[in-house]
Amino acid sequence: MLEIKNLEVSVEGKEILKGLNLTVNKGEVHAIMGPNGAGKSTLASVIAGKEEYEVTGGSILFNGKDISELSPDERAKEGVFLAFQYPIEIPGVTTINFLKTAVSEIRAYRGLEPMEAKDFLAMLKEKQKLVQIDTNLTGRSVNEGFSGGEKKRNEIFQMAMLEPKLAVLDETDSGLDIDALRIVAEGVNKLRTKENAFLVITHYQRLLDYIVPDFVHVLYDGRIVKSGKKELALELEEKGYDWIKKEFPEMIA
Amino acid sequence: MSAVAVKKEVSTTKWTTAFEATTANRLGAANPSVKEVQEKAIQDFASRGIPDKKVEDYKYTNIRLYLNDEFLLKGEVPMLKKSNISRLLIGDYITLVIINGRFVKELSLLEKLPKEITLRNLFTAIKESKVAGISEGKGNPMATLNTALAQDGLFIHVPEGFHCTVPIHLLNVSTGLNKVLYNPRNVIQVEEGANLTLIESFHSFGLEEKVFTNLFTEVEVGKEATLNNYIIQEEETLAGRSNIHQVSVGTAGKFNSVVVSLDGAMVRNDLNVSINGENAEIHMHGLFVVKDGQHIDNHSLVEHNVPNCFSNELYKGVIADGGTGVFNGKIFVKQDAQKTNAYQSNKNILLGDNASMNTKPQLEIYADDVKCSHGTTTGRLDETALFYLRTRGLNETLARKVLLGAFAKEVSDTVKDEAFRLYLEERIHDHIA
Repeated sequence: MLEIKNLEVSVEGKEILKGLNLTVNKGEVHAIMGPNGAGKSTLASVIAGKEEYEVTGGSILFNGKDISELSPDERAKEGVFLAFQYPIEIPGVTTINFLKTAVSEIRAYRGLEPMEAKDFLAMLKEKQKLVQIDTNLTGRSVNEGFSGGEKKRNEIFQMAMLEPKLAVLDETDSGLDIDALRIVAEGVNKLRTKENAFLVITHYQRLLDYIVPDFVHVLYDGRIVKSGKKELALELEEKGYDWIKKEFPEMIA
Repeated sequence: MSAVAVKKEVSTTKWTTAFEATTANRLGAANPSVKEVQEKAIQDFASRGIPDKKVEDYKYTNIRLYLNDEFLLKGEVPMLKKSNISRLLIGDYITLVIINGRFVKELSLLEKLPKEITLRNLFTAIKESKVAGISEGKGNPMATLNTALAQDGLFIHVPEGFHCTVPIHLLNVSTGLNKVLYNPRNVIQVEEGANLTLIESFHSFGLEEKVFTNLFTEVEVGKEATLNNYIIQEEETLAGRSNIHQVSVGTAGKFNSVVVSLDGAMVRNDLNVSINGENAEIHMHGLFVVKDGQHIDNHSLVEHNVPNCFSNELYKGVIADGGTGVFNGKIFVKQDAQKTNAYQSNKNILLGDNASMNTKPQLEIYADDVKCSHGTTTGRLDETALFYLRTRGLNETLARKVLLGAFAKEVSDTVKDEAFRLYLEERIHDHIA
């Protein structure tokens, strides 16, 4: 589904990703772990199409199609979703209205008929229940005055509504207490199917107790330096990132 | 230097000549004391002329430059039919059609006008002594010009205790084949305990030349009275406009103003509110959407003359590349006006490198026990918010429209009349991009 080859990315002239390779197949959950500054959030943003990030080399194939030149909205329409580390507050736009627009844009791109109002409402209800989000939150302006947990839950709710093929969760666990984390993770688990895939980016192993990955990759200094099964996350937790830093001293320079 | 002096003399002659040529048609012909006020005003105006940028209040809005050409006081006007007006109707309102400042009864919809409300041409109202006199306009040069040259306008009177449940819509159309400067004067009186929603819309139709309308509206909101005054401006580029609203609010009176400017080559709005009775409540909201080559200026003055009053003002601007916006808001709190609550805010979004915004919030406070604040921000559309919306499948144009629509909504949401609010939202949606 997602095939990243030799990806090099710069931001304001500074090289962040230095030849990254990653393959994610449908039905799989991959976790990307790494120390601060390794390039984790850059990877998330560049998959979603943030324009400040300049792809200087390599390619991002999504279902066989190079998406590196597509705009963020075209990628969303192709089926890419990014759950933000810091979801944005948008006063004056209700989550429901904004999702109505988003759903109809995505459907139009895929050549589907516009959704009937009653079908949309039914879907809304179903997904709200699925991710355990309060209806009074979705009726309010997007994320305005939401707690950290409510914002993250709203991200998962949007993901549920847009039904992406690939969801990138950028440090979804940051700023969450254990209860909020469990609710968010349960939402994600309910959305897992054989047809979609998840890329879970996190600094800590904690989230992976709830969203169990098929593969774990360690991102360090712009490259994936280690890959393994879920046990790798536990090993990292135990030994800390210094273990990686010691193993790859040449990269520190 | 002598050239300047000559020029000044020429322009003086121009105005006094115009004044003399219109003696029989001006408001002064209806009443000797009004005649005196007009004579004083023309002398005052002729010595100063149209304001240029050396006049502090017109520093960013050079009306003199705009009005540099020879403007007539009367021109050839095409006959408008009901079918020309029908698309401009809003809701099921009492609609008064006003063409170039003149009330046209034949095109108006007056079936719903309650018999309690007095509606006259201002000239007639003065003649019938329903209106005692006209205001001089407190030193504003454009108000002085209007005072000098005003020929007619509308008089609307809502009597004590009467609640007008249907809004009155003043549907203004600028039209004509010649360069003309119009100076209409309206007088609106809402008496003690009365209630009125007054909608003013400004449109243009089939303009062949520049038309400039210098409208001066005197408004009185009586004791415990409420006036909702909603304004939408959508004139095409040949139409220029100076809209002066001079509002006086009495004890426990409520004045709610919403001014939305979506089009116009040169638009200058002056909203001057004088609070003259305790416990009055004033809300002023504005939105201006300025396109390439356009200039929209909102000036406001809130005078807290007495204690225990509240005023809140929020103006928002969206300025496209090549457009110029101006905001000047002044809150004046007199020494006696203790326990005043007065707030003011101006927020602007610039859509390009060549968009320009001049903003000047002012507080002048002489009382010591007050709560007052003012603030202004000018910035670009939030790039992170744009990216967020785009990752959800909204293309750039749509994402911008959603964000700008949300920015504007804070203003349109303050309109209490639902039909007008929906109309406004639709018009705003069409104009922002």
